[in-house]
Amino acid sequence: MGSRLDPGEGGVSEQRFASGFLFPGAVWLLLFFLVPLGILLAISFGTTDDLGNSLYGWHPENYRDAFDPLFAPVLLRSVGYALATVVLCLAIGYPIAYYIARFGGRRKNVLIALVVLPFFVNYLVRTYAWVAILGDEGIFNGAMNTDIRFLNTPYAVIGGLVYGYLAFMILPIYAALDRMDPSLIEAGKDLYGSRWHTFRHVTFPHTFQGVLAGAVLVFLPAVGDFVSAQLLGGPDEYMVGNLIQQQFFAAENWPFGAALTTLMMLFLLIFMVMYLRSAAKASREAMA
Amino acid sequence: MSTVAERPAAIAPERASARPPKDFDRPRFLRVFAWIFYLFMFAPIALVVLFSFNSSRSLQNFEGFSFTWYDRFFSSESLRSSLIASIEIAAVTMVVATTLGTMLAYGLVRARTRWSGAANVMMLIPLVTPEIVAGVSALLLFTQIGLHLSLTTIILGHITFSISYVTVVVRGRLASLGPEVENAALDLGATRLQTFRLVTLPELWPAVLAAGLLVFALSFDDFVLSFFTTGESPQPLPVRIWSAIRFGVTPTINAIGSFMLAISLLAIGLALFLPRLLGRRESGLGVLLGREGA
Repeated sequence: MGSRLDPGEGGVSEQRFASGFLFPGAVWLLLFFLVPLGILLAISFGTTDDLGNSLYGWHPENYRDAFDPLFAPVLLRSVGYALATVVLCLAIGYPIAYYIARFGGRRKNVLIALVVLPFFVNYLVRTYAWVAILGDEGIFNGAMNTDIRFLNTPYAVIGGLVYGYLAFMILPIYAALDRMDPSLIEAGKDLYGSRWHTFRHVTFPHTFQGVLAGAVLVFLPAVGDFVSAQLLGGPDEYMVGNLIQQQFFAAENWPFGAALTTLMMLFLLIFMVMYLRSAAKASREAMA
Repeated sequence: MSTVAERPAAIAPERASARPPKDFDRPRFLRVFAWIFYLFMFAPIALVVLFSFNSSRSLQNFEGFSFTWYDRFFSSESLRSSLIASIEIAAVTMVVATTLGTMLAYGLVRARTRWSGAANVMMLIPLVTPEIVAGVSALLLFTQIGLHLSLTTIILGHITFSISYVTVVVRGRLASLGPEVENAALDLGATRLQTFRLVTLPELWPAVLAAGLLVFALSFDDFVLSFFTTGESPQPLPVRIWSAIRFGVTPTINAIGSFMLAISLLAIGLALFLPRLLGRRESGLGVLLGREGA
């Protein structure tokens, strides 16, 4: 208000003005993101009536059931598949990010855009393309005249996850490598470090934040995925996402589905907090 | 396909002229590895597009060029209404999420209230939450408040997860602007709103546009959230693809997938090149990836 006459007073009015901008988006996220998570938690302690409708209540056995010998292997499998996905994404993604950042030259942007591009092809279509390629009578077996069983194996499901989430690993590592001063690597070599030693003691530690970010960004969606296991695997490869999906659309046991979802969210929360803290630190460093 | 794979190879001589090459510095296997990587990424997509033009039902042998499957796609009234539904969802999501997200970004950068920290965390969490969690909790919310599942519920869900993308992109741009120009405008007698409209917003446009188109593409392609929040009909295209795949692979899906790819590419292409067409020096990719970093 008074800013026009007295810039010194602008602070208060600027705060009010900017807070007004904050308000609609924050309220939206509160209503449509946080409140639903609360409802999720409430229903996860609920039960169902004879018609399958959800009723609120106090039934912690939903959580006990999740660790039932029938379901516990599914939870473990989800974490195992997601970890394998992270390791593979790192093994493939790091060299690619390194190649683009160090040797991409003027085409860096094009090469990075090509990494991101497949991400904008519908995930279902991309996954289903692999069904056509790897199926028992698919393109690969047809072309090679072989009879290899790819689908309905853990390898196919993990492969699908890697294909789906690889870009999440490459981008943060690329960003970290791109920020890094290449003369550091030259220095390591000038000091007679071997290629491997330079990588281990100079390059990798300098990009560790990026690796960590990539690992979390791949791990989080991979744990919750159900498309890859459904299309490329079978019931023996089902992950927690498939289990949750079944509770909502086949078994009609929403409280149990909610309990599974809550458990997964709580487990992943550790990694989210880790990621958000390191991202906050990185952005503070970038500003400084 | 081949043009994609050839690119890494084309780089070598170019770089050699830019900087004296060091042989030990550029391991050959990396280049080969990059080739294989791009092949692996694009081969499945290329196959989908190729077989969408196949004249026969075969998914193994390409037996001639035809538009049969596109014809099937567009002559099916229910698929057409699904396509329109998908575009509607993405368009509404784009407009609302871009508005809310841009405002949120401005508020987060400029406001220093005690709520800023909490709002910032609340904005970031949707970005790292697995979609199935967002889908399940949205479904529970809508059924608990008695909202009939329809295109509206899908749009509400999509807006929620899109706001954060917009905020992150626009905030990066805003942080690089600094408050100096705004302060100059205020000193010259502009009101806060005039300053925002005449000074801040024009500087933000490339980021806002790029973020909006990104959101359009993400929403148009989204399956998981739509799957949990969709009503009976019309259902968005990805949900239709899901039901169709479960009955077995048919070439019509290739046509739908290729067509969706074309629309997404259009949105992303616009996001990348519009800033330049508007006479800006920076590319959209820089705007989108610029400050996000790790």
